[in-house]
Parts: sequence; structure tokens; C-alpha cells
Amino acid sequence: MDYPIWDLAMGGGVLMGLVAVTHVIVSHFAIGGGLVIAVTETLAVKKNDREMRELAKRSSLMLILVSTIFGAISGVGIWVVAGLISPFAISALIRNYVWAWAIEWVFFIVEVVAALVYYATWDKISKQAHVMVAWVYFIAAYLSLVVINGIVSFMLTPGEWLTTHAFWDGFFNPTYFPSLVLRTGIVMLMATAFMVWPALKAGAEARPRLMRYLGWWMFAGVLVSYAGYRWWEAALPETIRALFLGDSPALAALADTRHFLLWAITLVLVMTVIFLLVKPKATRAIPALLLMLAAFGFFAGYERLREGSRKPFLIHDYMFSNGVRVDQIAKLREEGFLSTARWAAAAATEPGVVTGRQVFRAQCASCHTLGGYLAITDLLPADPDMIYSVVYTLYDQAEAYTALAPGEPVDKAALDYPFMPPLVGTEEEMEALVEYLATLVVPDETVARKGGI
Amino acid sequence: MGAELIPAVDPLPIPGPEWLFHLLLVFTFFLHALFMNLTLGGTLIAAFAQVVSGGKGDDYRAVLAGRLMAVNSIGISLTITTGIAPLLFVQVLYQQYFYTATILIAPVWMLFLLMLMVGYYAAYLYKFKGTPAKGSGGTGWLLVAAAMFFLIAMVHVAVHLIHSQPEKWTAIAANPWAILGDPSYWPRLFHFVLAGLGFSGLVVAWWAARQAGKGEAVELNTRIARYGWRWALWTTVIQVADGFLLLFVLPRSVLIGLMKGGAATMVPLTLAIVLALGLLMMLSRVTNPVEKMGAVTGTLGTMVLIIAIMSITRHQVRVLYLEPVSSGFELATAPQWGNFILFALLLVAALWVVYAMVKKVLTSPASGEDAA
Repeated sequence: MDYPIWDLAMGGGVLMGLVAVTHVIVSHFAIGGGLVIAVTETLAVKKNDREMRELAKRSSLMLILVSTIFGAISGVGIWVVAGLISPFAISALIRNYVWAWAIEWVFFIVEVVAALVYYATWDKISKQAHVMVAWVYFIAAYLSLVVINGIVSFMLTPGEWLTTHAFWDGFFNPTYFPSLVLRTGIVMLMATAFMVWPALKAGAEARPRLMRYLGWWMFAGVLVSYAGYRWWEAALPETIRALFLGDSPALAALADTRHFLLWAITLVLVMTVIFLLVKPKATRAIPALLLMLAAFGFFAGYERLREGSRKPFLIHDYMFSNGVRVDQIAKLREEGFLSTARWAAAAATEPGVVTGRQVFRAQCASCHTLGGYLAITDLLPADPDMIYSVVYTLYDQAEAYTALAPGEPVDKAALDYPFMPPLVGTEEEMEALVEYLATLVVPDETVARKGGI
Repeated sequence: MGAELIPAVDPLPIPGPEWLFHLLLVFTFFLHALFMNLTLGGTLIAAFAQVVSGGKGDDYRAVLAGRLMAVNSIGISLTITTGIAPLLFVQVLYQQYFYTATILIAPVWMLFLLMLMVGYYAAYLYKFKGTPAKGSGGTGWLLVAAAMFFLIAMVHVAVHLIHSQPEKWTAIAANPWAILGDPSYWPRLFHFVLAGLGFSGLVVAWWAARQAGKGEAVELNTRIARYGWRWALWTTVIQVADGFLLLFVLPRSVLIGLMKGGAATMVPLTLAIVLALGLLMMLSRVTNPVEKMGAVTGTLGTMVLIIAIMSITRHQVRVLYLEPVSSGFELATAPQWGNFILFALLLVAALWVVYAMVKKVLTSPASGEDAA
């Protein structure tokens, strides 16, 4: 919030979602592909199985073109986008975990070199040496997951870190191991979903055998993912679980997401059994596509559930999605939000609407656009007088946080707006915000659009 | 002016002493610069050579283009990989400047990712389609790749100059293109581009001279070596001039800071200038690199040394740019030495694994039944 604000019509969250979803799908494939390809080539060498070897070879081209290029660039992309839309959060994460990222980088070097060597040396070196390169690739790739999983799971369940700020307390947080198991299952799902395509290109005789072989991988992936997912649910703190579980979940949308992902993985299981294990001969592009979509659906559903149940935080119980930290609330209520939001303060040249607009940009625009995703114009009550009540409900919501002892989690389900950070600032700033928001719903929209947001 | 817009520093301490991150930033940037030079300069030379070869696959320049891009299909990957580390460490030390700079030119900064992807895939498409043996179908892709890498260099120079000059933030916020009018923008950009061309020219000459020395396609390799050498020579001539120009268009405070910095700043800068002049002499004294392999290797080594030293000077210049707003200000630190040691040990182990793997691969030729 101290930073300048990038006015992105589509909303920063949407951009991040797009980059992150494509990156996680590709990067999990890069890891799982390493495992399945290494095992496949090892078996092929052992049994002198030409078709299996071809499967590994064809998959390795995809691995290098998709993973080392798209995976690497989209991975950097997550940093780039995070730096643009949530610089406060990425810098907090980097300060905690720069050594973890540095270590991940080390594994990434090995992974990239091994991938390049692996692809370049097909038929050029001894089989044993080539298989060894595959295993080096997979081990390095998996270790990068072991590292990054610590940071990603930390954001949802920082655990003891909240009071100790100690690296390992945050790294091996309550959902670290369940997430690792879940993601280990997911890497197998992603690998198989992709590798079915090169397997389709095999000769008619070998194809059913290869499909069945991949089917067992998918089957194992489903079991591991499901076990990991259930463990993850069980490991969540009660205050988070209550959002989407139980007889009356606090957030119906999240509960729906949970149903969706469970149905998706069931579908993956059913299709795996039918298309890959029982009737592999009949499998062509459409079943392969459906299977892939269902696997993506499960994975995307889980990521959405994880992100959704983290709201309104970027780092749970520490930093809200707009960059305000829990420990800052009291100070900001006293000294004013604009005392720290420097770019907004510089633009808040007049009291009233002008100041209100800057409060909105710095405090709300990280989620709400003017007319795009989560458009504020669609969400505001039609009656301008009602805006006052919404703003002050969110303002009072801050008290739920200031009343907490250090490290004590907030009971999100008990809040009026569990998805949203409290509004912080002085009463004058809140008045200004109300004034500005009112201009967005008055019939004469020209007032609101003046200058955009 | 500008200081009031600098975002507050994150309250969490950085997990190591500042000097360690400065060291890591400079060192990993140097590694990145080596591969980046090859990607940027190599692709530009390849594109030029491909065009002037007139699409004739047997022309030595077309062969050169094919070779450079064969190396670059790996080189680009390593440029990205080695670029991750300095990107990480710059965020540790300069978060408040760096993020602000990227936000101020956000669309362009986002575009850099897209350009990188397009450039990379275009390089691959050239490799698959346009290698000399298969005709010139890939020229267009090669030009696309070269254009992308040049534009990426432009974006990075812009971000660097914005992040190091908070006093210009208000003007940049009003008009991001204003950074192109910064007196040091173009000399700085061309300092990088010329370094890339010179380094790549030398690498080309070194490789071709070695091949010729082994008796492989002697005539072709000799021509390629001389061609690469000429690129290195002439770009270095311009580079020396551009380097002095860049020095003199630096803000006065930065220039004075460099001079007053004592041995810490003057030794690297002077050494780099002296070595650059030496490099120029070495380059001008050799006309046929094939006959003077020792001199070629020595010249390439000197170039690498200059890049290393200039990486230090580049960093010192940034420190001096930011001096007015950061003096007397220290980042809170809470070193995680255990984690640093773990990182260092793993880095050594990883480099060993890479070495052992490559060695094993090179000594395990496929043979008959055993062929992989």
C-alpha cells in the first residue's frame, strides 16, 4: 500500500490467477514428468522395451519445451506479478525465505542442466548414463517442490511463526507435510495427463499396453492426492476449516469449490479406470482431453480452495490482501491510513472525494476494480446511505483483530465480511471514502468516472 | 524530492548481513551477464549474419548463425536460470526502489515476460526450421528472437535507471517514456549491447579457431573465426568510446562519488578501463585468430575478467545513485547462518553433480547394442 498502484482493468488478482494457474500446472508436470519418464526409461532399458523407450523420448521433448521454457518463465512471472500487485507480501516472504528460494534456485540449476542434457543425448550416450540423467533431473525437480511447498503452505498456515518469526517454524508449518503428499499425488496426475498424448502416437499394438501402464500411474496419483487432500483438510486450523466444512459452512462458495474438486477427482478415477485400465484400446484424443481437464479441474479447484480459505490474508493472521499488517491496525486507526500509503497520500490533494478515492485505490483496489473483476460498482448498495453502514461495519471489523493476543487466530466465520480485510484509517478518511463511494452509485456516473480509479 | 515517495522498508529483518547479499547479488549478476551476453549479442550477430548470408545455407555466415543459435538454445535457458538469483537478491536489498520502478512501468515490465517467451520459442523455431542445412526458412524467426532480446535489454535498463533515481519517480509516473530521455539511458543500453556483441564475437572466434586448430573444416572455421574476431574488435572500439560517454553523462554526484570513493571504487573502475584498452590492443594485433590460439584464449579470458569487474562497478554506481536517499539508513538484520551454510553447501554439491553428470555423459558414448 506504500507503493504506487497499478491500475489494471482486469484486476491484479485475475492476472495473478492466470499466471499462477498455468505455472503450477506446468511446474507440477515438470516434476511428475521427471518421475514417470525416469521410471519408464529405467523399465524400458531393463526389459529392452522399444515402445516404452519411445514414450519416454517423446515425452522428454514436451518436458523440455514446456517445462524448461514456459515453466521457468512463468515461475519468474509469479514474482514479477506479485511484485506489481502485492510488493508488500512478496518482500515479506523474501525476507523470511530468501535462503529457501536460493536453495530452490540451486535445485533448479541442476534440473535445467539435466533436462537439457537428457534431451540432447538421446541415442548418443550409453543407456545407463542416460537413465542416470533422468533420475538426476527428477530428484532435483522434486527437491525444488520440497522447498517451495514450505513457502506456499506457510502463507495459509504460518503456525508458530506468528509468535517466533523463526524460519523453520514457518517452513514446517501445520500443513507442510499434508501439502507435500497432496502435491506429490498431483505431480503424478499432471505427468500422466500430459503423457497420455505422446502415448496416443504409439503403434496400435503397443498403445493399449502403454495406456494401461499410464493408467496405473494415474490411479496411484489419485490415491495419493486424495489421501493428501484429506490430511490437509484435517490439518487446517478449525477457524479456517469452518469456512467450507461442517453442516453450515460460513462461505457457501468455498464449500462449492470443495465439492467441485472432490467430484473432479472422482471423475479422474472413473475415467482412468475406464479409458486407461479397462478399455485402453478405444482411447483416443477426446477421452484423453476429458481426463486431462478433470485432472486440471481437481488441481485448480484445490488451489482455489487454498487461496480462497486464506482470504482476507496474503499471509494468514499476519498480512491482509491489501498489504495492511494485523500489527499495524491500531496505529493506522490513530495516525491515518494515508500516513503510510505514501503515493496515495501524495495524490490526496483535497479532503473529501479526492482523498476518498486515494483511500479506495490504496486500500481496496488490490481486489476491487471499477468495472471489471469484483467491480465495486456492482457490489455497492444502490442506496448511497447504505454505503455508510457497509464502510463502518468493515471499519469496526478491525476491532476483532486488535483484540487478539499475538499469534491468536481470528475467528473468520464470526465476521460480517469474512472475505474482506477491515477498513483502517481515521474517521475522516472513512468519511472521505464514503463520499467517494457514493459518487460511484449516483445516477450521474460522470462524477464517478472522472479520472477513473 | 522523491524521498517522500519511497515506500517504507519491510519491518522484518533481512536474514543475513547486508554485505553478504551485496556479494551474492554482484556474483550472481556476473554469472547471469555471461550467459545474457551470449543470448543478446549472439542472437543479434546471428540475425545479422543470417541476413547478410542472403539465405545461402553454405555461406560461412549462415553456418555461424546456425552455430550461435544451437548454443543459444541452451544459453537462453541458462540466462534465465542464472537471472533468477540476482532477481532474488535485488529484492532483498532494494525492495522499496525495485518494486516501485517495476510498478511505474508495469505494462512494459509484464511485457518483458511475454517477449522472453516469444524470443525463446522463436529461437527454437529457427533452430528447427532454419538451420543452414534446411534452408533459410528461419530467418524471420531469428529476427523476431533478436528483436525480443534487444527490447528486453531496453526494459531492464529502464527499470534499473528508474529504481536508482527516486527523484525522477514523479516525472516517470506522469510519463513512463520519459526514462528514455535520461541522459545515461542510451549509452547504458549500448554499453550492454556492445558487451554482448563483443563477448559473443570472441566466443565464436575462440570456438572456430579451436575447431580449425584441430583440422576440422579449416577454411570455413578460419573465415568464421576472423568474422567473429572483427565483431569483437569493432564493437570494443565503439565500446571504449561509449564507456567514457556513459561515465561523463552520469549524474555529477555519482561521478564525484566514484572518484571520491577511494580504492574501493577507483581500483575496479581503473582496472576495467585499463583492461579494456589492453583488450583493444590484443584484438587489433591479431588478424588471423586460428594462428594465434593462445592470444585468442587470453583475449577471451580478459573479456570475462572485465565483465566481472564491471559487474562490481555497475553495483557501486547503483549504491552511489541511491546514496542521497539511503545514507545513514541500515537494514535490520537477523542472520540465518545455518540456512546460508545449507545453501552454500548445496550449491557446491549441485555444481559437483552437474560436473559429474556432464563428465559421465561425455565419457559414456553409445556403442552398438548399448546405444541409448
